Amino acid sequence: MVISMMNERVAELNLGIDMTQEIKQNGPDDSGILDVTYSETVGEYQCKDAKFSTRDVNVYYANNQAIFDVNLDVGRNEVIALIGPSGCGKSTFLRCLNRMNDTIDICRIDGQIHLDGQDIYAKKQDPVLLRARVGMVFQKPNPFPKSIYDNVAYGPRIHGLTKNKAELDDLVEDALIKAGLFDEVKDRLHGPGTGLSGGQQQRLCIARTIAVQPEVILMDEPASALDPIATAKIEELINELKENYTIVIVTHSMQQAARVSQRTAYFHMGRLIEVGDTNQIFTNPRHELTEKYITGRFG
Amino acid sequence: MSDAMKNTAIVKSGLKKRYLKEKIFKSAGIVSIAIAFMFLLVLLTDVITKAIPAFTQTQLTLTVTLDAEDLELNQESSIEDIMAADFRQPIREALRARFDGVTKRNDKKQLYSLVSIGAEYQLRDLVLADPALIGQSITVDFIADDDVDAVIKNAIDRSLPESDRRVKDLKLSWIESMEASGEISTAFNWLFFSAGDSREPELAGIKGAILGSFYTLLVTLALSFPVAVAAAIYLEEFAPKNRFIDFIEININNLAAVPSIVFGLLGLAVFINFFSMPRSAPLIGGIVLSLMTLPTIIIASRSAIKAVPPSLREAALGLGASKMQTVFHHVLPAALPGILTGTIIGMAQALGETAPLLMIGMVAFIVDIPQSIGDPSTVLPIQVFLWADAPERGFLEKTSAAILVLLVFLISMNAIAIKLRKKFEKKW
Amino acid sequence: MTEPRQLIDGVILIYGTHEMSISALLLLLAILAAFGFFIGRQKIHLQYKKQSNKARINTLPKYFGYVAGLAALIPALILLLVLEVAETPWINHQISQEISSAQLPSGDDLDLFLNDIKNASTESQIAALSDEKQIIHGHYQRIVKTTQWAKTAVVLALSVLLGLWSLKKINTATRARYLFEKTIEWLLLAAASIAIMTTVGIVFSVFFESMRFFGDIPVVDFMFGTEWSPQTAIRADQVGSSASFGAIPLFVGTMLISFIALLVSVPLGLMSAIYLSEYANRSVRAVAKPVLEILAGIPTVVYGFFAALTVAPFIRDFGESLGLSVASESALAAGLVMGIMIIPFVSSLADDVMSAVPQSLREGSLGLGATRSETIIKVLIPAALPGIVGGVLLAASRAIGETMIVVMAAGLAANLTVNPLEAVTTVTVQIVTLLTGDQEFDSAKTLAAFALGLMLFVTTLVLNMIALYVVRKYREQYE
Repeated sequence: MVISMMNERVAELNLGIDMTQEIKQNGPDDSGILDVTYSETVGEYQCKDAKFSTRDVNVYYANNQAIFDVNLDVGRNEVIALIGPSGCGKSTFLRCLNRMNDTIDICRIDGQIHLDGQDIYAKKQDPVLLRARVGMVFQKPNPFPKSIYDNVAYGPRIHGLTKNKAELDDLVEDALIKAGLFDEVKDRLHGPGTGLSGGQQQRLCIARTIAVQPEVILMDEPASALDPIATAKIEELINELKENYTIVIVTHSMQQAARVSQRTAYFHMGRLIEVGDTNQIFTNPRHELTEKYITGRFG
Repeated sequence: MSDAMKNTAIVKSGLKKRYLKEKIFKSAGIVSIAIAFMFLLVLLTDVITKAIPAFTQTQLTLTVTLDAEDLELNQESSIEDIMAADFRQPIREALRARFDGVTKRNDKKQLYSLVSIGAEYQLRDLVLADPALIGQSITVDFIADDDVDAVIKNAIDRSLPESDRRVKDLKLSWIESMEASGEISTAFNWLFFSAGDSREPELAGIKGAILGSFYTLLVTLALSFPVAVAAAIYLEEFAPKNRFIDFIEININNLAAVPSIVFGLLGLAVFINFFSMPRSAPLIGGIVLSLMTLPTIIIASRSAIKAVPPSLREAALGLGASKMQTVFHHVLPAALPGILTGTIIGMAQALGETAPLLMIGMVAFIVDIPQSIGDPSTVLPIQVFLWADAPERGFLEKTSAAILVLLVFLISMNAIAIKLRKKFEKKW
Repeated sequence: MTEPRQLIDGVILIYGTHEMSISALLLLLAILAAFGFFIGRQKIHLQYKKQSNKARINTLPKYFGYVAGLAALIPALILLLVLEVAETPWINHQISQEISSAQLPSGDDLDLFLNDIKNASTESQIAALSDEKQIIHGHYQRIVKTTQWAKTAVVLALSVLLGLWSLKKINTATRARYLFEKTIEWLLLAAASIAIMTTVGIVFSVFFESMRFFGDIPVVDFMFGTEWSPQTAIRADQVGSSASFGAIPLFVGTMLISFIALLVSVPLGLMSAIYLSEYANRSVRAVAKPVLEILAGIPTVVYGFFAALTVAPFIRDFGESLGLSVASESALAAGLVMGIMIIPFVSSLADDVMSAVPQSLREGSLGLGATRSETIIKVLIPAALPGIVGGVLLAASRAIGETMIVVMAAGLAANLTVNPLEAVTTVTVQIVTLLTGDQEFDSAKTLAAFALGLMLFVTTLVLNMIALYVVRKYREQYE
């Protein structure tokens, strides 16, 4: 059962790759998407004060390549949005940043990804420690089937971040306040986390991530499963969080990228096509593919 | 930011302990599997080493004189006369001739017990096959008694003091004398595969049990396969959503978990007492086992039918086929490999089942080899049970050998099921 | 291998004259049905030929044949089944009508008395009966014969009548395919209903015999008595000595052995499932899964043999070397081996429930920096707990109902103890012991086995129902 589930997941992730493969084999198709030949990333991918810096990152699932030679820096305390058509590899790239791809047997990564100048794929680098520093919020809200309190307290508990119950209480409350959820749930902290609405669940997941006090938060389409009002709340939250955290957000909504991010990176079929100031990308894209995507000619 | 730095340090400091726990937990998993693995290994080694001696048989070479007068036979004697003749005497004479000087009554009795009581039938069958032997002297390899067999196979330790040893010094000296002169030989034990049960370990075979199992499974298959497939088709393709159908489903799921012995009680009370059907017969055994395996096959068949994509049904219905035609012409053939796999697994389950058959009297001691589904018979697992209970040492190896045969059947059935599943695994 | 012909002969032989008529009757019915099929098909075939409008799509003639054939077959078969069930009570009724009551014993003894008569089929057996019984045997034979003939005649008549009627009725306007398919659908439903009939059969057989038992022995004595010694109750006048049928030692013994088995199988099964699904790579799984499957496929009688001849002596010797006195049929040996036997069962159930936990929970936990074991212990197991509990209940039900291991490796003496080094006996052991001897079917001893069977059935039924309910609810939660 588990094997088959794994395979399904891999198949899901493969979807994008297969498309790439197919298009590559068949050559440019009628829609003209690929009339433009890729040379290298357009725009300034480097940052002065880089939190993350990735160089020549390639990712493979078994024999399929999902990411091709990506170079990208993420600045300290900036929000960077990764956009692109579905299956373009933006999620795969995101999952490389806290080594979530390690959980997939057939996934192989080469190139360098540095966090504060340290190679996170170095042998002595510990994935557990890394993930404590680089938290992640997933596409679908995934609260544990525990109470709201226990959900938020989970991270601090496993890492031993607090010395006593009072400290933990404070930490949980603080995280819930930061996630803008405290007022809504303060009366039922010990009620089940799965009993909340979708938007609340996602904010709970964000609170859960904040409670570990990470340096970077990765968000994988955090609002894609939510209604517009819940989405607005999440976006508001992201705007508040950027004071304290570096945030990498994958989104399929260009408006969202425009609203929350300072920089935007456009991925296409496993390659980073263009990166730059969010304003510039949306008003004056320099690459033809970016322009076509922004103007909605494919997506 | 300093918060984060502080946390990193805290997390780092706790890592060593956490990884130790991780290691311990993971090892617990490995140990669990290792225990299961070890157990299987020990069990199989135990059974196989105990079983190996059962496949050879010790024989005593004796020259017997078939004196026409003593046997009251001649070349023209009828089969009935030969059957009635006493073939024990020539063998006893041959033994006395071989070891002259045995005079005491008890010693003689011991001497005669060197050969199996089956030896006289061996001799009789030779004469039946060729009446011309009457009046001649012939040299025959007679089946040795199980004690002799045990000595030769070193199952009885010759170095033990006489008082602790089953075979006493006198008998042992005879055996050693014959062994030294090459009159003792071992041969493949064909009898084990061609004979029915016997009180004598050296004469006991599993043919009766194998055929009993065969007939029982035949009945089980004939009853459970069509019924299970019909039930699965109905529940997957035709059943409306209502309480009655829910009730059927609850029943099927529950029956799958009812202890097998309860099915035995059902068989005893309903089929034997109420319908007065014959005890100990594969027919009843088969009926009981088919009731028991029905849920297994139904559940497997349902998932096989469920796995057939709706597009196939729609294609057939779109051509104007009726629901029934769609199911029988398209869905069922597509689901058949899965159904067959489930059926073989159900049959393997039935083949290994013992408890319910004890209830319906298949535990009787039956020497005759069953000829039909109505003959009293036993089955392989029950033969194992009966022999495991027998006090004679010779039955220990027979039990193990019977287990081995049973396991060979079971493993081949499962292998076929797996092959089938692999071969027909549909990529819809 | 025996040829089919021999098989049929065998059936006829063993059933004797009584059942021969059944085979012959079935054959006759089949022939009648075949006639119905061919004539029906031919009739419609000819009618189609006469029709001028050939272009119209018609129902195939074979469906009309099927309808006629089934009309001749199905009702007759149902009637036959009903008559078969009713036959024995009818014959009993008839024979007690014919024979003056003075000649017959009353009540339960009547069945016994008649059994002797019915069971005498060979000449020597008949000769062995008392004179009185021989006379009744004559009556009996006659009644049986008449009943047989009447049954055959009625069934055949129904078949012929319905066959002819349907042949007369069908014409090209008949919705033959619809009728045929409806009939088949009903037959399929009947097949599905066998599950219900089996359950009813089980309840019927254990419940009624148990009621007869509780007529002799008060329920309270049975359920709460602490002394079990059915052997003393061989003579009829001793049946009332109720102390003999106190089942508490059996219940305690069953629970003790099951508990040991669960103690072994739950942690080991759970851990191997967790290791295989969360840690092991493909190649380890490729080896370990078949090993577990083989373990699951080994017949229980083999485990019993191993427990009795290898494990029990080993434990006894080992215990003695430690200075403990261990019974040679210790509960520990039976429980341990049973535990190993249930490992694959627990493991596959655990595997199922663990893999039903959504992948997103694993990622959520790992994403917060939890190790795998922390994820498993703190998130996956709590999330899968209802499913795991359900699995454990099913395993418990398995252990309680397991028969062969305990029959071979546990004792017969009903000791009331919870010391695993002593010999205890179980419910299933006693059922087998009570029913495999050569005793009368109606003795309290035999009936006690059914009362134990009732306990066993009810207990496992309740466990299964709870387990299946819990597991279903659990699955729905993640669907």
